[in-house]
Amino acid sequence: MSEESLPPPSISHVPLSSVLARLEQELRDLWTPPAPGEPLPARVCTMNLVVVTSSPFVAEHYTPIVDEVTQSMPARSLVITMTPNAPGASLDGEVSAVCSVDNATCSERVILRASGAAAARVGSAASALVVPELPTTLIWLGRVHVEDPVFRELAQMADRIVLDTEYTSLSSLLSLSRWARQARAKIGIADLAWTRIAVWQEMCARFFDDPRMRPLASRVDALRIVQMSDKGAKLGPEGSLLLGWLASRLKWRIEPLGGALRFRRADGKLVHVELAAMPRTEHVAPLALASVSLEASDDAIRAAGTVARDFAGDVADVLRYKLDVNLPCAGEQTVRLGANRGARVLDRTLHRPLHDDAFVAAVELADKLDDDGVVCT
Amino acid sequence: MRARTMNDIARPAPSLENPLRASLVDERTGDACAVVIFGASGDLTRRKLMPALYNLAASHVLPGNFAVVGVARRDKSQEQFRAEMKDGVSRFSRRKLDGALWDDFERSISYVCGDFNVQKTYEDFRAHLQKIDAERGTRGNRLFYLAVPPAEFGPILNGLRGANLVAQGADSHWTRVVIEKPFGHDLPSARALNDTVAAVFRENQVFRIDHYLGKETVQNLLVFRFANSMFEPLWTREHVDHVQITVAEEIGVEGRGKFYEQTGVTRDIVENHLMQLLCLTAMEPPISLSADAVRDEKVKVLRSLRPLERRAVAESVVRGQYGRGFVRADEVHAYREEPDVAKDSTVETYVAMKAYVDNWRWGGVPFYVRAGKRLARRVTEIAVQFKGVPHPLFMTPDGGITPNVLALRIQPDEGIAVRFTSKEPGQHTILRDVAMDFRYGAAFGSNTPEAYERLLLDAMRGEATLFTRRDEVEEQWAYMDHVFEAWRAAGSVPPPMYAAGSWGPDAADDLLAKDGRRWRKP
Repeated sequence: MSEESLPPPSISHVPLSSVLARLEQELRDLWTPPAPGEPLPARVCTMNLVVVTSSPFVAEHYTPIVDEVTQSMPARSLVITMTPNAPGASLDGEVSAVCSVDNATCSERVILRASGAAAARVGSAASALVVPELPTTLIWLGRVHVEDPVFRELAQMADRIVLDTEYTSLSSLLSLSRWARQARAKIGIADLAWTRIAVWQEMCARFFDDPRMRPLASRVDALRIVQMSDKGAKLGPEGSLLLGWLASRLKWRIEPLGGALRFRRADGKLVHVELAAMPRTEHVAPLALASVSLEASDDAIRAAGTVARDFAGDVADVLRYKLDVNLPCAGEQTVRLGANRGARVLDRTLHRPLHDDAFVAAVELADKLDDDGVVCT
Repeated sequence: MRARTMNDIARPAPSLENPLRASLVDERTGDACAVVIFGASGDLTRRKLMPALYNLAASHVLPGNFAVVGVARRDKSQEQFRAEMKDGVSRFSRRKLDGALWDDFERSISYVCGDFNVQKTYEDFRAHLQKIDAERGTRGNRLFYLAVPPAEFGPILNGLRGANLVAQGADSHWTRVVIEKPFGHDLPSARALNDTVAAVFRENQVFRIDHYLGKETVQNLLVFRFANSMFEPLWTREHVDHVQITVAEEIGVEGRGKFYEQTGVTRDIVENHLMQLLCLTAMEPPISLSADAVRDEKVKVLRSLRPLERRAVAESVVRGQYGRGFVRADEVHAYREEPDVAKDSTVETYVAMKAYVDNWRWGGVPFYVRAGKRLARRVTEIAVQFKGVPHPLFMTPDGGITPNVLALRIQPDEGIAVRFTSKEPGQHTILRDVAMDFRYGAAFGSNTPEAYERLLLDAMRGEATLFTRRDEVEEQWAYMDHVFEAWRAAGSVPPPMYAAGSWGPDAADDLLAKDGRRWRKP
């Protein structure tokens, strides 16, 4: 039988639009005064935040994070949990107003749970529930498959897709970046792990801020990255992205030899890269960065720079920057990494530019490390 | 996204780029430098400058090689100065004081005591800065902040030059000077002051600070006008009936009676903040966002202002002085009852003016501006009132359809509101004014940087767009001097009184009423 003569697939008669109609009504009801003339807080919406998880546990964990972000960036948030392998087909949800501390302004939050065959209709449901004409960010908390029709449908609604390589692989991030580049509409790709290393990047950049130090950027002899994990653990996303960023910015080539990867500077000299592990302490996320050290030298200058967590405090979120060099720009500085809370990282991610070439280059290099299963000793 | 500015290009080109720095997308870090505050014992340092620097440190945008040096006459130890600064930061910073951060930041703070009129102060001071360069890697870069009265500028600037503390064009390090207003009290004094500064610093080293320009909403004026295609076509005499700019304060002179007796509201607010708001409202699109391109356009507006001849001043400018009254339900004293104010003072605490920008875009459109103390409400706004509809299609019992208004609120509740007419639901066509109201705090959160944070960081980076240029200052004074001359010629006539807590004297209402208009009550 030819393809043309195939009967059309049967229409599912499971009525789910009534759920959406109820949610839409509840959204309207949120802004109806309880009594005529009674004041209402102002509804504010600057964007749509569509958060997708495949686990009720992650949704429960992430909802307060979204609520906190919408306090400073009012949005209509859709927190969607999909469990496609569950039996049957059901869609349910509820709406709430999430108000600022002073109760002056409120965002809207829609919780949506789609199980079984209804999971395939999440894209359609979301497109009915987002506020039109406003930018939409898709936060996909799980593994990404660009061929997944639900992902595609949601991604095509979005101006920006936010992943967390803590939940997915660098290679899926990379394939998503490639897909996004080919997409007709310009879609920005962001990774929460990339945002988490921003302060580390800023501190590393300070090693070469002094004009006299800049020639040393191409003369790095050694790099040591320490992450908080057991010995033998794979290099985590933060370490991989930081190494990928340093290697791509400093124009190092990665070459395999004898089953291992080596880093070679543009002038051909090898860089000694050491990836180490130290036991994780309380309040610090697994696989988080613990320290980064660089050594560089030329005929006249020898420099050693370190950025390291200070474990003396309660939460180890103070970073100590130190540059030892035989120049007057040697120095020390203390910065607060800031509590590594999901809300802060997400908020900062949403404020970043949609496109970041350094990120793409770092991911491409980090992906090679990931493929190679680089471990910390 | 930050647009590339002329200052980026004009900064001394390093022989090599820092490849790591170049890739960071969302950080604006200042250059390694020592910020030197003259007049460090004053309130400005404790309340504004030090909290701003501390917040820059907390935001990770202060460079690693950084120092702040306080210079003042009072003899005090390093520890005493640091303790005073810590107290200032803990009381006035928008962020809570963080012990670990403060300990690190405090190490960058030092204090030098000296008489600004004695050359030895500067010799000692140079030695101190050289020591700091060696210890903190500040590379000889200096940002001198003159938080002192203008009378002190000359001795300080000459002292700096005498001690060879001013970088020349060919030097690898830089020196910049930040000057606080007032930039003179009339055109001759402004010119004299500028000449004093210019004798030591080139114009591209001079950063005249008007903290209004560091406010987010003021910066947003350019974005609003030139990043939205729907408003700019309406921003002309074809569609705009008039513009109102209001800078209203609830507070009185707050212990600054002596200062106010010398200045009055016109010199304190109108000549600088209000004129800057007028320029940003009326200017043409600049060819780029470089400092000079933006400032060129502002200067063109100032040069287009119709000069106020003596007779026109009487018709177009209204003064006022507050008497007793009620502000937020509290009874408050009259201006003349304030400490250090003459009992028969003729100083104005309120001024309203009608100005015209005589150019192609704005020909015939009046700009009504007003500023005052002890008014009904603290508000700064720019309101653009559009022309009415050409034909009254709808029957309205109460005097026709209200024209549309676009109001840009600078403070408080920074935001933009559009008033337009809508039909009330029902069987009858009843028209009602409604407002679309965008509030910055609601849309973007309220933890935005203070104006001084933005301006100090810009000065450290050599970005001058938000600072006023010499010719701007002089054009502002040239315009306002007509007003002062007319007032001087009229003799010391006491200004009309207005009750504290009102919207100003009746004569201000008359100023608009004779044009068939009225002031907004924002």
